[in-house]
Amino acid sequence: MVASDDQARIFETGYRPYHGTRLGVSHSVWALARHTAERIMGLKRPARYKILPFASVIIAYLPAVAFIGIVALIPNGRIRLSGFIPGPGRYYGFITAAIILFTILAAPEALCPDKRSRFLGVYLSSPLNRSTYLLAKAIAVVGVLLLVTLGPPLFLLIGLALENDGPRGFGAYMGTLGQILAAGVSLSLMFGAVSLAIPSLTDRRAFASAGSLLLILGSGALTGVIVFGLGGPKDLLALGLDRLPFELALRIFTLHGLPTAAGGGLARASSAPLSTAVVVAASIGVTLVAAAVTWWRVVGTEVTR
Amino acid sequence: MPPVDTPAVEPVVSATEVTKRWSTTQALAGATFTIGAGVTGLLGANGAGKTTLLGLILGLHRPDSGAITVFGRDPWVAGAEVRARLGYAPEHEALPPDVAAHDVVRHLAELHGLPRREATSRASDALWEVGLGEERFRPVGTMSTGQRQRVKLALAIAHDPELLLLDEPTNGLDPSQREDMLALIEHVGVDLGMHVILSSHLLEEVERVSQSVVILEAGRVVADGGMAELSRTDPELVVELDRVDATEPAAALLAALRLAGLTASADGPRRVVVALETPAVYDVVRDALADGAYAVRKLERRTASLEDVYLASAGSGRTS
Repeated sequence: MVASDDQARIFETGYRPYHGTRLGVSHSVWALARHTAERIMGLKRPARYKILPFASVIIAYLPAVAFIGIVALIPNGRIRLSGFIPGPGRYYGFITAAIILFTILAAPEALCPDKRSRFLGVYLSSPLNRSTYLLAKAIAVVGVLLLVTLGPPLFLLIGLALENDGPRGFGAYMGTLGQILAAGVSLSLMFGAVSLAIPSLTDRRAFASAGSLLLILGSGALTGVIVFGLGGPKDLLALGLDRLPFELALRIFTLHGLPTAAGGGLARASSAPLSTAVVVAASIGVTLVAAAVTWWRVVGTEVTR
Repeated sequence: MPPVDTPAVEPVVSATEVTKRWSTTQALAGATFTIGAGVTGLLGANGAGKTTLLGLILGLHRPDSGAITVFGRDPWVAGAEVRARLGYAPEHEALPPDVAAHDVVRHLAELHGLPRREATSRASDALWEVGLGEERFRPVGTMSTGQRQRVKLALAIAHDPELLLLDEPTNGLDPSQREDMLALIEHVGVDLGMHVILSSHLLEEVERVSQSVVILEAGRVVADGGMAELSRTDPELVVELDRVDATEPAAALLAALRLAGLTASADGPRRVVVALETPAVYDVVRDALADGAYAVRKLERRTASLEDVYLASAGSGRTS
């Protein structure tokens, strides 16, 4: 069949001037945040880059899937009454490792390659400046962290509710939902801030991940030794970064976790819980200090010298 | 966007006594110049301050003193608005190796404000334009150096900037690739109508594609202006003589020419350079050569090349 003249179309027009819409800086921030989140999750990259982030996410959701399955299979009430199924507040105890693993992977992937490949200079040649660049990176890191800090307890809540084993009444349900949101966001913010600080100091992902792990676990070990081993003030426990974010989450659920006295002759600290004020103040302080370090480092990074 | 041959109402880039110091290194020391429409070469040796200057144009640094404007605006103050109109291809290897070329280019187009759908379309267009249409979905890390340089050019033009900053775009290319890249740059500047600042330490590159040039030497502008303007010194006649009987024929010829009222100078023992002030100079030189029975090796009319301008101005101070 031969097309008539009025059916002719030009399919290849080549490069041409762009006269369309140009969106503002907020669009640039969002575009960079989305690109960074995709990069952290290994999307649009070879399969090997997807293994660790997806494994961490799966590990974080597995207990929730198991608990919901148990509730679905065993008659309602018996398991719950035995205390075997944790509420959303206690759920973090099951996924601490997954959250920390995801944290030490995410932030280095967000910051280090840009510095190492010097793509940061290309980013800063766009309408972004160092502050908006960092904002986009923080949104990406905090956003993907929500996958493991907010998603699993939310999934558990919804699963239990569908099995008629969730909070009783609309008010209680909404209250728990609010607590989950607050806890998930606070965990992501704090872990996000802490985990961005270390990669801002280096351009090597491996060093950044190792440094983040050392900071998170090392601070917990060090403060534990000072408080329980040397009899230091128990408020120092609030500087243990492996415990502080989770302690804040527990407080949001009106639960207490710290201090975890070791027991025996070496335990000289009081087993009384830290005040919520100390936990909140420490959380805010740690987050602000970490954010300040990151900002200072990114703002000070030289490009196109 | 004004076409290349339209005189710009305002300069694209203007700098007045700009200084910038990096700790102990004086990168720019009072640079003053104006860059207008078209392709402009930013010429200077490594360390002359070219990349620092590009950073100032991008608004990434604040000058220690002096003022710089891009499209009439201070890029440090109006950074986002200015950079939205710029495209930049860095000197160094800066592309993520595990990402497809199309994704990188689209991402940068989005960062420059294009909606995602438009960015996708224009990323393809830009990659076709630089000759990578068939290769656009390959990871950058699997590409050759020449292809990666083209990807950098594509990501700089995808959002249709008004001013393109290319920092040493032929680094690492073999002669054939270099020629192709220069042709592309010329195409971008002339056919696509973008103003281009081409930073390079290679004279022939700048001469090949630029309509004007800014020459930097140790942070100072030693010459700037249109290529034609800079090369518009009076033509000269170069007379190269063969050595006969171990004498220095240039001195004798020089004396004869000066006696005839010409402006001439010796350039070594066997070369004399005569200013071609009028066509009659040819006759005077011919007669002098014939009278002295000189053995002539070469007789050549020449005008100053960019290299002459560069070497002369670098040695003697500012030319403009």
